Amino acid sequence: MSRTATYTAIPALALSALLLAGCTSAAPETESSAEASTLTVYTSEPQEKIDAMVELFNESHPEVTVEVFRAGTGDLTARIESERASGDVQADVLLAADSGTFEDYAAEDLLLEYSPADVDALNPDVVDPEGFYTGTRIIPTVIAYNTGLVDTPPTSWADLTDAQYADQIVMPNPDVSGAAAYNAAVWLDEPALGESWMTDLAANNPVIAESNGPVSQAVASGTQPVGIVVDYLVRELAAAGSPVEVAYPSEGVPYVSQPVGIFSATDVPDAAEAFVDFLVSSEGQTLAVEQSYLPVRNDVGSPEGAPELDDIEMLSPDLETIRSTQDEAVAKFNELFN
Amino acid sequence: MRRDGADAVRLVLWLIIAALVLVPLVAIVVLAAGDNRFGLLLEGDVLEAGINSIVSALASGLGAVLLGTAFALLLERTDLRGRRALRLIALSPLLVPPFVGAIAWIGVAGPVSPVNRAWSDAFGSPLWSIYGGDGVIFLLIVHSYPIAMLIVTAALRRIPTDLEQAARISGASATGALATVTLPLLRPAMLSSFVLVSVGNLADFGIPSIVGTPEQYVTLSTLVYRYIQSGTVDDPLSVVATVGVVLLVLAILGLVADTVLGRRRWELDASTTPPARLRLGRARPLVGTLTWLVVSALTVLPLLALVSQSLLPAPGVPLTAENVSLDNFSRVLSSPIVTEGAANSLMLAVLAGLICGIVGLAIGTVTTRTRARDNAALSAVALFPQAIPGLVIAVAWLVIAPHIGLFNTPWLILCAYVTSFLALVVQSVAAPLRSIPLVAEEAARISGATRLRALFDISWRLALPAALSGAVLVALTAVRELTLSVLLLSPGSQTLGVAIFNLQQAGAYNAASTLSLLVTVVGLVGLGLAGRSTR
Repeated sequence: MSRTATYTAIPALALSALLLAGCTSAAPETESSAEASTLTVYTSEPQEKIDAMVELFNESHPEVTVEVFRAGTGDLTARIESERASGDVQADVLLAADSGTFEDYAAEDLLLEYSPADVDALNPDVVDPEGFYTGTRIIPTVIAYNTGLVDTPPTSWADLTDAQYADQIVMPNPDVSGAAAYNAAVWLDEPALGESWMTDLAANNPVIAESNGPVSQAVASGTQPVGIVVDYLVRELAAAGSPVEVAYPSEGVPYVSQPVGIFSATDVPDAAEAFVDFLVSSEGQTLAVEQSYLPVRNDVGSPEGAPELDDIEMLSPDLETIRSTQDEAVAKFNELFN
Repeated sequence: MRRDGADAVRLVLWLIIAALVLVPLVAIVVLAAGDNRFGLLLEGDVLEAGINSIVSALASGLGAVLLGTAFALLLERTDLRGRRALRLIALSPLLVPPFVGAIAWIGVAGPVSPVNRAWSDAFGSPLWSIYGGDGVIFLLIVHSYPIAMLIVTAALRRIPTDLEQAARISGASATGALATVTLPLLRPAMLSSFVLVSVGNLADFGIPSIVGTPEQYVTLSTLVYRYIQSGTVDDPLSVVATVGVVLLVLAILGLVADTVLGRRRWELDASTTPPARLRLGRARPLVGTLTWLVVSALTVLPLLALVSQSLLPAPGVPLTAENVSLDNFSRVLSSPIVTEGAANSLMLAVLAGLICGIVGLAIGTVTTRTRARDNAALSAVALFPQAIPGLVIAVAWLVIAPHIGLFNTPWLILCAYVTSFLALVVQSVAAPLRSIPLVAEEAARISGATRLRALFDISWRLALPAALSGAVLVALTAVRELTLSVLLLSPGSQTLGVAIFNLQQAGAYNAASTLSLLVTVVGLVGLGLAGRSTR
């Protein structure tokens, strides 16, 4: 019997050590007159990034306890669906996905109308004219390649259908990644690409990874030397020493803006609004740039190693079209690539 | 007979068991039967996942039994050197959660592991990639052969050596006696461990989701996860309930098979003579080296891979002295999601241990220390969840969650833990009590104690140490749990296992490896200390 008792004592001790380590890094208490509240944020931001954002937010708003739930955009929307089916949406703020998802929620009266302070300083392309959501960064999807394994990097989407890249490509699953779902719709809508390009790409038998994170890892480690992936992940890996580089395809790149919106069922609208303000404030955007994101305002510079926003050819399709065709596009993608 | 307090206790226990086991399982069957989506089982995705699940379960069951039996024979019946150390090392995969093992093995045999990279450079293509169906089966074997080894070893120790000696005296060689006497006597234990392992592996989640998904090798558990998390089908709950019922039926079939096989089992009186060890003679160094190689390849190699991944800052960076850093450790240990996950896991595990300990103590004593017709039924229902995949239990709780107001709360995970792990305590309480005669309770009754009083004062005190160690076992299992936690997670209730799994899914492989290493080392050090303290 003592054997089992000892088995447990050790993991328990180690776990409490973990806990203590965590406590010491918690944000320091600051005096504040504002009322304490708990804000629940659903987000598809990488865990470390959202943790850093919350930490910085808490420096100016120590009274708000931010509870983060991180998952892929597809997983978040599924969770929100099931929460609606059995009551109210638990989240106060959604920071994820693409504007199409927010348009849908706005149409169903799920969102609170709120234009952040300082809205005029923002890139007008990412601000919802009706004021239900605001983009928080520009996230283009690009071609990444492993510099150690690829001699002639692809420079266009069309290049990827070349037979030399057969079994060499990895890309994210649009069921999980909101950016990937959006991209599928944009590619299908783009006359130069469309279904025939997607069919040709599928013929090269790309690996469908779970989300953008694993795609960038696969390219960096060389599992598949070429990837279709959001640009900031590649910049980060390159900065950490991985042999990766970005190519901006000549046809143009689709981008999502990681919008943020507030659910109308929220109990803490003040805290939610403060969080949204923070995300697009020059303070929040400076952090975004430090986190390798392209910002939504032009007074905070741009991340190291990134081209100027104006130098990137962007695909800006009609959002209404994309929104109405996205589900079919994902179905088409799954049909072609599975 | 007059109704008294003991009857009230029994009634309460039945109510608890009904709430914990019967209601969820009935709910899942009712939902599946009501919506009647069974036609779906024959459709592409679900059918393919079902076949993959069954094939990987059977293949891994077979592999685990063969490997486990081979180790059991080598370590019990030969004069191999270092048997005690080998046994300890060979059992260590039991202490490593399967999903952690999967993360570790990617470092050993992933497509760009050092071995595969060197092989690619020399011969053009990787030696063997762990991604895909073969990798899933391999990892399931690695994580379940210790169970087969334990069962077969126990059976081996019960086989009387007289039989082997008789064979030897009649002229059989040592290997001949092993093959014609010992192995046939081991068959029931091998069959029983085959059934146990196969059913257990039928719905493992961690391994197929980490090494199967990248190659589109989908099993029922990863399919259910995708349906629930991403809502890729209409009305996902009714679909997963249907899948759950199928797994339930398969588990019951396994249980029936095991009972039928168990009935044909014969007990032999063990003899006191120690078994004659098979002398390996000149083959001893060779067999010894081979065994050490295999055992350390299965256990030490993945650990080394975890270490190297934890020390590197980013993928694709070569492992050289100047690239090594401990940043990953400080990063994961200060990450809120990890500390929160550890806190949640710790709280849920302690509560689950406490509840299982108390309820298990009560059920274990009532069913062994009192006489009643429903004893067998009560203990059977309490033990039943042990035989069904955790996936089914998770889906069952998910189905009833909105009706009992537990949807999206951590208490749902606690409920599922208690349902799943209660059997551990009931078993550890009931087993030793069964062999103790009821004289103490009878003495108490003669001296005027009520039945309830005798139950409290005698039976429960008698069983307390066993219940305590059972509860500890529950807490230990729950603290590293993944399957239940990942399906029932809600904002603010992510567990340690889910934190590691999410890091891995999000592509933070170095961070996931670092945490996996910490969890593994803590488990293994625990084993080492426990092994020393009992010697």
